Amino acid sequence: MEQACDDIDQMFSDLLGEMDLLTQSLGVETIPPPSPKAPNTEFNFSVGFKDLNESLNALEDNDLDALMADLMADINETEKKTFQAQKPPSSSQRSTFTDPEPGFSIAASFDYQSNIPAAYTQDFEDYLPPLPLPPKLDLALPLPPPEPSEPLSKEELESKAKTDKIKLALEKMKEAKVKKLVIKVLMDDDSSKTLMVDERQTARDILDNLFEKTHCDCNIDWCLYEVYQELQIERWFEDHENIVDALSGWTRDSENKMLFLQKKEKYAVFKNPQNFYLAKKGKDAGKEMNEKNKESLLKESFCGTSVIVPELEGALYLKEDGKKSWKKRYFLLRASGIYYVPKGKTKTSRDLACFIQFDNVNIYYGTQYKVKFKAPTDHCFVLKHPQIQKESQYIKYLCCDDSWTLHQWVTGIRIAKFGKTLYDNYRFAVQQMGLASRWPNLSKVDPTVTARSSSSGAVQANGQIHQNVIPVISTNPEAFKRAEDKKPNVGRKPDQAQLQPVPSSNHQQSPKVALHASKIPPPAPARISSQAYSSALTLPSNVKNVNANVLLPPPPSPSPPPPDAFPLPPPCNNDLPPPPDDFYDPPPDFLPPPPPCFATGDRAQLPPGPPLPPPPPSSNQPKPFMKKPVPLPPKRQDITSLHSEQPSLAGPTPVGGGGGQPDFMSDLMKALQKKRGSTS
Amino acid sequence: MAGIKTASGDYIDSSWELNVYVEEKGPDADPVRLRVTGDTHIGGVMLQTVDKIQLSQNWSDHALWWEQKKMWLLKSNWTLDKYGILADAKLLYTPQHKPVRLLLPNMRRVLLKVSFSSPVFRAVIEICRILNIRHPEELSLLRAPEEKEKKRKKDKDMEREEIHDFTGLVFPGGSSQQLYKGMPAYFADSPETEECYKVLSVSQTNLTPEHITKIYRPGSVVDKTQINSRWLDSSRSLMQQDVKENDKLSLQFKYYCFFDLEPKYDIVRINQLYEQARWAILLEEIDCTEEEMMVFAALQYHINKRSLTNDPLQQHRDSKLDDLDSALSHLEVKLDSATPTDVLDSIAAIPELKDNLRIFRPKKLTLKGYKQHWVVFKDTSISYYKSKEEALGEPLQQLNLKGCEVVPEVNVPGQKFCVKLLVPSPEGMSEIYLRCDNEQQYARWMAACRLAAKGKTMADSTYQSEIQNILSFLMLQKSNPDCQVSADAENINTQALVSPRYQKKFKSKQLTPRILEAHQNVAQLTLMEAKMRFIQAWQSLPDFGISYFLVRFKGCRKDEILGIANNRLIRIDLSVGDVVKTWRYSNMRQWNVNWDIRQVAIEFDEHINVAFSCISSNCKIVHEYIGGYIFMSTRSKDQNIALNEELFHKLTGGHEAL
Repeated sequence: MEQACDDIDQMFSDLLGEMDLLTQSLGVETIPPPSPKAPNTEFNFSVGFKDLNESLNALEDNDLDALMADLMADINETEKKTFQAQKPPSSSQRSTFTDPEPGFSIAASFDYQSNIPAAYTQDFEDYLPPLPLPPKLDLALPLPPPEPSEPLSKEELESKAKTDKIKLALEKMKEAKVKKLVIKVLMDDDSSKTLMVDERQTARDILDNLFEKTHCDCNIDWCLYEVYQELQIERWFEDHENIVDALSGWTRDSENKMLFLQKKEKYAVFKNPQNFYLAKKGKDAGKEMNEKNKESLLKESFCGTSVIVPELEGALYLKEDGKKSWKKRYFLLRASGIYYVPKGKTKTSRDLACFIQFDNVNIYYGTQYKVKFKAPTDHCFVLKHPQIQKESQYIKYLCCDDSWTLHQWVTGIRIAKFGKTLYDNYRFAVQQMGLASRWPNLSKVDPTVTARSSSSGAVQANGQIHQNVIPVISTNPEAFKRAEDKKPNVGRKPDQAQLQPVPSSNHQQSPKVALHASKIPPPAPARISSQAYSSALTLPSNVKNVNANVLLPPPPSPSPPPPDAFPLPPPCNNDLPPPPDDFYDPPPDFLPPPPPCFATGDRAQLPPGPPLPPPPPSSNQPKPFMKKPVPLPPKRQDITSLHSEQPSLAGPTPVGGGGGQPDFMSDLMKALQKKRGSTS
Repeated sequence: MAGIKTASGDYIDSSWELNVYVEEKGPDADPVRLRVTGDTHIGGVMLQTVDKIQLSQNWSDHALWWEQKKMWLLKSNWTLDKYGILADAKLLYTPQHKPVRLLLPNMRRVLLKVSFSSPVFRAVIEICRILNIRHPEELSLLRAPEEKEKKRKKDKDMEREEIHDFTGLVFPGGSSQQLYKGMPAYFADSPETEECYKVLSVSQTNLTPEHITKIYRPGSVVDKTQINSRWLDSSRSLMQQDVKENDKLSLQFKYYCFFDLEPKYDIVRINQLYEQARWAILLEEIDCTEEEMMVFAALQYHINKRSLTNDPLQQHRDSKLDDLDSALSHLEVKLDSATPTDVLDSIAAIPELKDNLRIFRPKKLTLKGYKQHWVVFKDTSISYYKSKEEALGEPLQQLNLKGCEVVPEVNVPGQKFCVKLLVPSPEGMSEIYLRCDNEQQYARWMAACRLAAKGKTMADSTYQSEIQNILSFLMLQKSNPDCQVSADAENINTQALVSPRYQKKFKSKQLTPRILEAHQNVAQLTLMEAKMRFIQAWQSLPDFGISYFLVRFKGCRKDEILGIANNRLIRIDLSVGDVVKTWRYSNMRQWNVNWDIRQVAIEFDEHINVAFSCISSNCKIVHEYIGGYIFMSTRSKDQNIALNEELFHKLTGGHEAL
């Protein structure tokens, strides 16, 4: 594993190098407007353009920041070197591009990443990743610029620079220690997304991330759901849970899966607290209660000095250790754990025997235990230490008479275990949903644009997701409206899905181009890898479907209202390095198979790639890697602080960058600011 | 002026003679005779009385008490006629504030001057002001339980020593509280008053099991109903309720909804609440399971420890003074965004432990004992090797202790110091025992294991304190209660941390390790946090906050139990103890008391009507409880809103108040 990681690191760094070159040469290449190049290349530009917009639209602030930083870093670093080295003849580039070698290696690398079928996790815990460091340095150094304003003595300056450097170095070391995982999340339509998760992210962060990527309705019922194939147990992650921690318990060859789906049970207790707090043994379940009473009940239960755990007791079946028999026992739930009434005793507190306490266990649903364990019913729950992955005497299996009882127990145990955190999670989720529902207002243009851009694949992608979404009862009228808005597309979806696996939706490309795209799947560099990847994939998953989903226009399209994106002057779009945005999508592996010619077009730029080590890996991989250093502070504040730095960053670029880059950067900045304006 | 006479000495106005007894002259002294008319104002009567007594002292607190009617004549502008006072009235000129021996929730008795003239509700507000307890509406006064003759003598001797005199406190007027040395300024006057403040704010640490067993414990629900019959009526004064000077009363939290507990301001309040909770648990007023009892014991142990080690006054003082400092340093940190030293610390070398330990891994069908290994503890993992020399190679096994269970297996007299680890792995939990040679070694390894279980390394700042905790616990076991308890204040008797039931169930040899085990989860709490945790754990008990009354429901022939909690009423079967029915206040439309037949009638939504009469106590107490809880729920977060006393009386007063 370690070695594999190193390999990946190596690849990433190689890729980064390549990227820089690509960026460079592309920019240079495109300066002569009437390009004498083959139509392929031209097309390529448009693709790049499209992709840029798309990614600009799609990416969340973090990503944009990351993009900025990445680009800056790349440019800064390479501008001096490569620029002076002169642009290599494009023709030769192209020829090298056809070299099958790189493609192969890419496939290999991807294979590595995804060979665990349904879900895999990979340790990227690397201390001091080779490449990302320098870019960070470049990025961070511009920080001090304000200092010039007041003349400092030489020593002062020196010492300041020194401390700054120390700080930087320390930060970097810290950063380098951050553990990251690549996870694959299965959507409820059998497609999947691949995400890079770092150890500071909670389930909530990842959900937000997925919301942006999937264009779903951000309903509070969405959850990240882990499924243990072997034990036949599953549960959702609570929003505050740390995913990297949770997943690090999975074994390497684990068949566990991670899903993204909706579970109305997740926050049912907050929607109808009376069912849990007032109902007696399920009798009055479903009884309505007015909102005001609900609120006061919640306040009473969750906002006091201590959280009130619903009173719950009754007979459950307990699977006996090592046997397939189930024994009926009378259990009681208390804040301190689950207790049972020993034989011949009463259920007064002092007689109770402790069955389990919640400090070290998680609760899971057991599925199909009638078959697996001869359970009396299929309504089972399981308590086990999160790290246990195989059957063991330390796993407790319990079985309830009906699904409602199961629901009550699971909810009760969650409340006992997590307490007020659960309520906080809920409130935050509601808040997020409220925010999400405002998107359509901010970017009303979206739907129309998508519609206009001929029947682009994006639309169908939208529709597809929304299909899942529509049945959801959205308490927020706006969100609902949004869903309605998109509905019309749904009808169109199926056939188009067949026709066009074209991704981008928000791009302002002319219909013509989009059509074009439908024939020749666009984003070039990614294509290469994706092709390789899909072939390497052991999953027989429907590739088209997958494409649609993955590429689906990162719906949060809230960001830069298209009009703003429009004015991007074409030339600068040309400069923009197509590869970067591809890196962008952490789940790039699923891009549709690219036509080989395309590949060539892009590859052409690789060879000049300087002293980089041998196997030029897929351009996809570096992305997540590159991303790392920048988005470290996933918090809003940090973003803003980053933001403030950026102007100073942008400054130096034009100087060294020359060519079209400054334009690109400024556009990027514009988009970034727009986005901020709209989200904040 | 009343008392115009003719020359013959006959009164020609309608004046008459009024007898006023003066408390200061003693019960047997003759009353002061005043010549008054029906038009005389109460103020005038008092003025005349003072004139006649010819004693110079401060009379400002005195007022007239009408013995027969059991009422205070507090409205000095009312005339005698308006009060309906005639010549046969027996009036007592007496101070409104008299000392009582007040038992606080922490079982400390204080001598305190209390208002005998204002309603108990108001009197409690005054008491709490002196004691520095916020939200006095949650507390009330109880009569002392009636004691048996035999007991009385013994107890009296004991209590005389214990009582703390608060009457010397000079409580300043005005509501603004000045803090000095971390306590209200009036406590900081002298060492004696500082001592008083300690009585209030520091928990008792030197309990013995005998202390607990000596105090009355309610054995059944019916016993618990007796406690509630002792509450005084909030809308009437102490004098009206036949409380005498120097009587024993207890002050308790009555309504179990504690508003806005804030460790910053509520030092006394939280301590008293903690103590009430603690006694409720020790005296088995509220049931809990064995596991819960161990947590309570561990928290008590921790609180005792903390109370002994740091002088709370000192601490408070510091915390206040340090406010500015900490604010400044915060600012510094902010300016200096990432203090390099911090970061450096975190990446500095993490200490390691290396030792020869005996290891035992229980496996099926093996009887192998402990085997010597070279064990290295690094980060959160332990690795063991055959010998020190092989430590450079691959370990025999490496275990990451993150998330594992750490169980102490210690027998000090037997010199057995084992750490039992239950390490989670994909296959289940693997069990491993580390056996150390002595206390010191054990404490180091144990502390490291515990931190590792929480994902921390030995670089963590708590490592040293963890070691100290473990050592001090081992000391506890050494000084077994069998070999005589020393009177040392440092000595904490683990038996005194659990209720008598568990004192009987466990020997202290068994008890100590269990408390120790529970203690590891709370060992890092500060004093205040630990008290809060205790209160929270108490609140989480299913039976928390239920006040029991013996009642008979209308149409039923047998007695039943009515439980009153902060949000609901509970009907409980007396014989089985099962909850028969729960009604929530939120569904309550109205409730009435028929004072003639002493019956409480409650109407809930959907035309559910309940009526019951109270057997164990006056129905006024039940009425007040319900009304009180409803009053509590009307409180708002806004600190500035003064307590709505009128509303309280409206809700709780019954016909007397209307």
